[in-house]
Amino acid sequence: MTVAFLDRYETSKVKDQKMERASSLLPAARTGLAAVALLAFGTGAAFAHGTDGGGVEVALEGAPSFSISPVYHVLVVHFPVALWMTAALLIFFRVFSDSQLAVRLQKSVWPLILLGSLAGFVAYGLGLFIYPWSAITQSPLGRNHIMLATWTLSYWTVMGVLGYRYRRFLFEGAQRWVTFVLTLIGTAVVTITGTLGGSLNGTPSLVTRSLGTLGWEVYMTFYLPTWMLVAFGLGAVAIVALGVMGSRTRA
Amino acid sequence: MKKRTTYLAFSAAIFSGLLVAAWVTHGTGIVRDDPERNIVIPDDLTSTLQVKAAYDGETIWFRYRWAAEEPNLVNDVLVYENGAWALREGSEVGPDPDRLVEDRVAMMVDDGSVPLFSRYGGYITIGDGLTSFSGVPETEEERSKYLPETRTDPDDIDTVRPENELRRLREAGYFLDLWDWRSARTNPLAQAEDTSVGAAREPDAGAAPFISNFDENTGLPRFMFDPALDTGNPLSIDIVTAGEAGFDNAYFLAESAAVPFDPATDWQEGDTLPARVLRESAGSRGDISMPAAARWRNGFWDVTLQRAMDTGDPLEDKIFRDGGSYDLAFAVFRDSATMRWHYVSLPVSFGLDQPAQFVARESEPGQPDWTGPWTEVPVFYPGQVTWDRLTDPRRHPGADRIAARVPAAYQHNERQLALYGIEMEFAEEIRRQWLWTLGMSLLLIVALGTGMVLLFRRTEETT
Repeated sequence: MTVAFLDRYETSKVKDQKMERASSLLPAARTGLAAVALLAFGTGAAFAHGTDGGGVEVALEGAPSFSISPVYHVLVVHFPVALWMTAALLIFFRVFSDSQLAVRLQKSVWPLILLGSLAGFVAYGLGLFIYPWSAITQSPLGRNHIMLATWTLSYWTVMGVLGYRYRRFLFEGAQRWVTFVLTLIGTAVVTITGTLGGSLNGTPSLVTRSLGTLGWEVYMTFYLPTWMLVAFGLGAVAIVALGVMGSRTRA
Repeated sequence: MKKRTTYLAFSAAIFSGLLVAAWVTHGTGIVRDDPERNIVIPDDLTSTLQVKAAYDGETIWFRYRWAAEEPNLVNDVLVYENGAWALREGSEVGPDPDRLVEDRVAMMVDDGSVPLFSRYGGYITIGDGLTSFSGVPETEEERSKYLPETRTDPDDIDTVRPENELRRLREAGYFLDLWDWRSARTNPLAQAEDTSVGAAREPDAGAAPFISNFDENTGLPRFMFDPALDTGNPLSIDIVTAGEAGFDNAYFLAESAAVPFDPATDWQEGDTLPARVLRESAGSRGDISMPAAARWRNGFWDVTLQRAMDTGDPLEDKIFRDGGSYDLAFAVFRDSATMRWHYVSLPVSFGLDQPAQFVARESEPGQPDWTGPWTEVPVFYPGQVTWDRLTDPRRHPGADRIAARVPAAYQHNERQLALYGIEMEFAEEIRRQWLWTLGMSLLLIVALGTGMVLLFRRTEETT
């Protein structure tokens, strides 16, 4: 009897937990839907806009190609930037504060990041269709912007997955400081991507000039010598191997 | 737990270390001199040319001042070596280590008749397949700059329009006046060469300011210095190649100081004669002169050119009028370099009593007024950028802006253009390496994510 009651109690507790989780996901799901709708609207508008009135006129004989007015990339790209930067702000707040407010705000970190990534994918896609691929990849500034945009999008998506998987544990023990450093790098790549976009549009900022002072002339392509590419490959293998070894220590 | 933290720290260290190493080593391994492909990158990518102008209603004066570490006063020589005379010409690829290439300043002038010149300057004259560009086969005749509409296909240098169409274009003013001052071939006799750019770069009609001093049939010089005249310290090839040929040397052979070459003279090993004999140019080609021969002093050339505002030859010269507006583009040659190893400017608007970037001062007759400040014109190494590339939407993202006539200066500055010019010299190699970098960096980020997901822990998992 007692066992049966306890079973029922446990079952109902699990149900409650599931319901709680579902209800906590609801606002995020609504926000996500709204964001998707907005982005779909933006993308549709971009396609509908065509190349008239300020868009990039590209007529290539024999080359199936189309372009999208850059204004829509510029418009949509502010969504991921705002979402990621807000998430970064909340992470920094949480890293340095265990206050109730910081803990509550921390819950919105991963939805913000992943919504940012969703918007980022749309912005990235819109950006790729402004110029023919063959042309933009001949421009040093264009190459750099694509490179940084790729880093930003992939990096923040990784951060979002990490946030979704570990939630509040991101801020426990040594992980708190790893999260802090990863977020710092994330804000840096967003900033550089944005300033390169501005430079590409003919409006370089002080950040562009500062990068030159720090050793990167942004008007020259960022590429690595072959031996560094090999080092990147080995580094990638090493990081995954360390991860696998670390995961086995748990088991 | 300790092990996991160690792995986490190692992973973060590897990632951060690779980022730092990437920052330090990026951009290396591709851009380098490659003389076989006619690629030599100058040490300085940008510089400044200072200009002033004055006019009195009859004559217009231009004054140019630019930094040059040393003057180069010699351009090709005839050398007595091993009992025979040989013509030694300066290198056409990059700075000549033997200092056999003269310094120059050139100026292109338009009065608004050449579309797009005011926005893109000399870029519009750089068609595909010009001499000294990578991959262009050597031809007997130099394939020089030309204006796009002189071709039925502007991107194909060989599709020159018929003579009657070219004449029609020129009569409509579709050409650029090109003034060309040379330290060895024109300066000693206080003149500059008057040329133009239309279907090609062509000298104006009239006698050239120099003739060859080398007789290819006999293999001997045609003329030598008149021994009865004091023409300066004799030149030797060692003096020239050491860069020690100065104004006190016999660095030029004027017609008035030349006598027919005498092989019986006691010539010594290394004796050197200029490869050209200078003379007064005549006709339209001789329209441009100088108040006096220019001198290099204290690290600067200071050159003044003068010309009648109206030469009476509107088919070869741009006529300057009081109240007129024009566009100019400049080129500076220094460091003993020629061909495309020069520093060029973007177009500069020029006004005679008109608002412009560069304004000429009205002066008393025959008295150019130099009291105003210099106009500073940034100049840059242009690399290998053709008009064909710039107007091709497949190869230049800004092609649509050119189609919309957006000036180059709106989108680019001179340093940026110099860097782009160099990148274009290695376009395909850099693009390939960039794609690899993109792929490998993406792989590293994904690996970092995977590693972090595997190494991070929920507290309850670790307790």
